[in-house]
Amino acid sequence: MGYITIKDLNFSYNRKQNVLNNINVEINKGDWVAVLGHNGSGKSTLAKALVGLIEPQSGTITIDGLELTEESAYDIRKKIGIVFQNPDNQFVGVTVRDDIAFGMENLQVAREEMIERILFYADKVQMKNFLDKEPSQLSGGQKQRVAIAGILAMKTDIIIFDEATSMLDPSAREELMSYIKSLHDEGLTIIMITHDINEALLADKLLILKEGEVFAQDDSRKLMRHKHLFVESHLELPVALDVANELKDKKYDLIKETLWAYVSMK
Amino acid sequence: MKGIVIGQYVPGKGFFYRVDPRTKIVAVLFLMIGTFLLNDIYQVIGALLLTFILLVIGKISFIKVMKGLKPILILLIFTFVFQILLNKEGALVLDSNLNISLINIAFVIGLFIVWRLLAKFKKFNFLLFIAFIVGSIFLFANVTISGDYLFTSFNFRIYEKGIEMSIFVVLRLLIIITLSTILTLTTKPTDLTQGLESLLRPLKKIGFNSDDFALIISISLRYIPTIFDEANKIMQAQASRGADFSEGKLKDKLKQVISLLIPMFIIAFMRSEELADAMGSRNFIPGKPRTRLHILEYSYRDVLVSMFTVAFFTIALLLRINVLGY
Amino acid sequence: MGIRFNEVSYTYNSFSDMEASAIYKISLDIKEKDEFIALVGHTGSGKTTLAKHMNALIFPTSGYMEIFGKKIEHKRNKKIKYNDIRQNVGLVFQFPEYQLFEETVLKDVMFGPMNFHIDKEEAKELAMNAIRLVGLDESYFERNPYNLSGGEKKRVSIAGILAMDPKILVLDEPTSGLDPAGKRVLMELFLNIHETTNKTVVIITHDMDLVYEYFNRVIVMNEGEKIYEGEPEKLFRNSALIEEYLDYPNSIKVLKHLNKTLKLDLDVFKKTADDVLAEIKKAVK
Repeated sequence: MGYITIKDLNFSYNRKQNVLNNINVEINKGDWVAVLGHNGSGKSTLAKALVGLIEPQSGTITIDGLELTEESAYDIRKKIGIVFQNPDNQFVGVTVRDDIAFGMENLQVAREEMIERILFYADKVQMKNFLDKEPSQLSGGQKQRVAIAGILAMKTDIIIFDEATSMLDPSAREELMSYIKSLHDEGLTIIMITHDINEALLADKLLILKEGEVFAQDDSRKLMRHKHLFVESHLELPVALDVANELKDKKYDLIKETLWAYVSMK
Repeated sequence: MKGIVIGQYVPGKGFFYRVDPRTKIVAVLFLMIGTFLLNDIYQVIGALLLTFILLVIGKISFIKVMKGLKPILILLIFTFVFQILLNKEGALVLDSNLNISLINIAFVIGLFIVWRLLAKFKKFNFLLFIAFIVGSIFLFANVTISGDYLFTSFNFRIYEKGIEMSIFVVLRLLIIITLSTILTLTTKPTDLTQGLESLLRPLKKIGFNSDDFALIISISLRYIPTIFDEANKIMQAQASRGADFSEGKLKDKLKQVISLLIPMFIIAFMRSEELADAMGSRNFIPGKPRTRLHILEYSYRDVLVSMFTVAFFTIALLLRINVLGY
Repeated sequence: MGIRFNEVSYTYNSFSDMEASAIYKISLDIKEKDEFIALVGHTGSGKTTLAKHMNALIFPTSGYMEIFGKKIEHKRNKKIKYNDIRQNVGLVFQFPEYQLFEETVLKDVMFGPMNFHIDKEEAKELAMNAIRLVGLDESYFERNPYNLSGGEKKRVSIAGILAMDPKILVLDEPTSGLDPAGKRVLMELFLNIHETTNKTVVIITHDMDLVYEYFNRVIVMNEGEKIYEGEPEKLFRNSALIEEYLDYPNSIKVLKHLNKTLKLDLDVFKKTADDVLAEIKKAVK
């Protein structure tokens, strides 16, 4: 039994066509899992189901031994947080300080404790000097960092990033990825929903969703050796891997190795 | 649209910044009522002086308060003129004939041109406007040249009571506005809503959830700049499809307004859905008790403000019911 | 001549002007036909400001523009109908949600041409052609635009501009937020529109891979100034410029890396994975 276990999960919005179809996934504590899929593959729906924002028609989600139900959702959300795609639509507070506090206020954390945690986690995402700033004065990347601080302050140990980088420009995207990497290094469990394979490459485990079904799941480097998996799920491998996969002859071994090393270097 | 700040709040460190918002709201309310109780010009002048002293104590820049007056300037002028023209009590102060004649009109037009030319120097815009009006009246009243063609002429009378009342009314408005400006200038919108929430808490007994109310207000405040920014973008997106709001016929305009409103509503709906998800994922459950990062605490300043308010209000009330017997 | 920028600056000194980033003394010529131009730069570099000028949505603070013979200066000229400029230069915004509002796709696409007083039947004809041109068939005509997928909405919003039959088409980050396959499909679509109609197309993008693979002219903006204009390949050969302000396309990055670590002498200027593969196979025998 994994830290997070999804068993036979089915979900549909209109009961006609399943958005999620018979999903079975196990995630261990401290894992970094990338969920990859084309637009409309059901990956964001899976994220919502994990935090109990939607109720599946059948199947179970168990997190740290606790099964997710309407009653347990409150306790589950103490363990798992989610950063959404649109930086603007998840900033609840009037200032950075208020926004980081929001989740803690809901958990009824004592005020002194809150003040301490705000300073600590704002510092962690390098937003300590922005505590009194309003969202309209922040960039998209900064808002996403505030969202991370708000979740960390709730002492969660699983964070889902639901295409959290997709509305950012390349430099902010890289920056956010480096924050995610450091969170993983500290032992947090990361579930990263994305359609960017370059981002997915950084994860240890890869889950490919296609039309609501788990199309493949395994160690990410293993999966990436099979180009056909990506072609069939309407995804594209980065140039380096695409080339590496095509170099089958023994004489290219050195180049192949270099290309793989290049990919994991980032 | 970067850096738009809602309300008039200006960060600062003066006395009133550290007064509890609840105290400020209640105090301003009672001071306003007190001001309305005053019924004599000398009392109002006294109250105005007191208000200015408040500004000095709070180290609030006089200019900022004056800027707050800008939007209601027209109202002030209107009240002033209205009072002067309609009140016909007391001794006659001014009695003159206004002659609308050819030459006078020519002079006024000349004056108008001078005014518009000078208006390019935006700094004195308002002073110039006053100068133009006063100058015109002066011309109408005093310039008579033989051989001029007179269109019409009428009596222009100003009475003592008229002047007194107009000053009285304008000063009273000035006090009210200065007071409310002190409140909004020194209180963060969030503190204002929290103060309001706290004051409305007794209403919980009749089923009014002041906690949720405060959250709704603060989220609205937070999203006003975002939605404003978005409206602007939608307007540009439709303008690039030929929906130019300055060119075009009325019938087209109706359609163009719809082309603005529908995307705005739909985006607002999508936004609120996503926001609800974000709030839910951070364990927000409506009606469930929450702790608060911001708490309101009373200090000696609140006692001072309350004492001042009570004193002012009592004096105003006593003056009104004429206990002192004059 | 299509669009000419003559020392155009846009700066703001008051709150109300702050809707766009500043640009400084930009001079630029965009031909009426046959151009396929990429406009790149970081957030806040002024590329969107440039696009809004092309559409006369905002006006230069100093300098002037000529758009299809009409001179645009700081002051609005009452004799010029700015709306006509918007018919000649179509600007597609980043989010389709900003413009879709009618209950059917066809009606929504007709909104543009109808604003220019084209009669209903003709507008319908234009709209149908535009919808087909963006790769959607008749079955979409009567569908509600809000029930479409993200990619389909984007196509409808592009059709909404194309139906006005603009001479020049400007697209603000049309591929952002799409997966790589989706990006490619859209780029092929733009290329197809460009090739079948000969219209000049200007595309704002962050994506160096796309710039290198698809475009023959690129304009680079940085902090309000134009720092490069010309062929993409020449741009990527200018390593000083790239390393300071931009990024290499992935294919060049990969080949450069191989050259550096394995001391090879590969030609790094290859656009696609296939080209890269061929180059490696040629070099390592």
